[in-house]
Amino acid sequence: MRSPLDPEYRLNTTRCQNFVPRAKRNYSFEGMLKGITAGLSQPPNTGSIGRLLTSTLAFVIFSAGAVAGGLGVALGLGGGIFLVPFLTLVLGFPLKSAAAISLATVIATSSAVTAQRAGSQLVNLRFGMLLEVATTAGSLLGGITAQFVAESTLQRLFGVVAIAVAAVMLGRINRRNVILDTTIDPGRLGGRFYEEESGGVVTYRVKRLPIAVFASFIAGNVSSLLGIGGGIIKVPVLNAWCGMPLRAAAATSALMIGVTATGGAIIYFGRGDLQPLLAAPAVLGVQAGSLVGGRLAYGASVKWLKLLMAALLVIVAVLMFLRSTQ
Amino acid sequence: MNHGAGDAIRSDADAERSRASARLETTIGEVLRFGTIASSTMFAIGLLMMIAKYQTAVAQLLLDGGLIILLATPPARVMVSVIEYVRERDWAFVVLTFIVLLALAGSVVAAYF
Repeated sequence: MRSPLDPEYRLNTTRCQNFVPRAKRNYSFEGMLKGITAGLSQPPNTGSIGRLLTSTLAFVIFSAGAVAGGLGVALGLGGGIFLVPFLTLVLGFPLKSAAAISLATVIATSSAVTAQRAGSQLVNLRFGMLLEVATTAGSLLGGITAQFVAESTLQRLFGVVAIAVAAVMLGRINRRNVILDTTIDPGRLGGRFYEEESGGVVTYRVKRLPIAVFASFIAGNVSSLLGIGGGIIKVPVLNAWCGMPLRAAAATSALMIGVTATGGAIIYFGRGDLQPLLAAPAVLGVQAGSLVGGRLAYGASVKWLKLLMAALLVIVAVLMFLRSTQ
Repeated sequence: MNHGAGDAIRSDADAERSRASARLETTIGEVLRFGTIASSTMFAIGLLMMIAKYQTAVAQLLLDGGLIILLATPPARVMVSVIEYVRERDWAFVVLTFIVLLALAGSVVAAYF
């Protein structure tokens, strides 16, 4: 019942014992727990969540969100790839509600980050809007299929994506920014932005549009199935094959994931898998974490951070596969 | 955008498009900032009230409202884009933006029906 991975186990039995009776009085909280475990034939770890009270669970989710958001910002990923495994493997949430909570944090991150960047012209609004047609179509399909796909299939899919992300991260370990000639015409979909490092205007044209559209569709699909932003799929493709400088690709992807995640999140919300009481601490945690992570990222060795994260993702993948065979 | 040598060779149309794009970016930034601040504030107050078990009905309302504002922010951004593309008479992008809105409406349909 109690997994050795469960850090709340110790927390629960020592410091927080005096709070347990209050948890029993919180009807809305118990109803919520019934709601999130209703879809499972054998709810894993429910005992340990059941004994946690609202404030402890909220604090644990807030902290998980903060760590996931901080790591996400430091690595240029969303926090979802770390938050979803924590919620499913450690707290024992079904993947569907973990994905739903994570999608809420993706929307919050997208809105906050893009609001901050507004005016920098890093975001390519036109190209983003064009690709959003593909991501929202993908996310709509993903959101619908998530309702019919078995928990174990989703877990295996998450494992596969985690391995792929780890591979991409290792492959790009020494990758630097691409800077292009400033005299070319950006065309209808390309863009121009002022780059601080080189002190000049960077111009780029968009190449191989069908590949960008296809990658966006897949990213949207995986996003709403698994609760990740999907930037990890789009950004490398846009950068490596479609001619976008890395910073513009990342900024444009950050804008797009908000709309993409909304498509999936609305479906989860309507189906009762997105609980405001669980989404709120996760969103606040990710917001706090990305504020701090953005500062810390300057000092950290990104190369070692990437290696560490790739190792962590492989562990996540293995645990997801193991859970799926249970 | 007053930097670098590339600016001198820009055509007027290019400059106009760039101005329109900058205007849209600013408006979108404001919409997103409002949505982020409003939803995070409601989440924070609602959550604290929930933990303190103070007026839990109001807290639930704040949490629901925060989540709905959070979910409504990206579609609001898309709607702002439609308005801007209509102003620019960029019909291809008006259509594209509408398709995105339709797909989001499709999610609402898939969620409740």
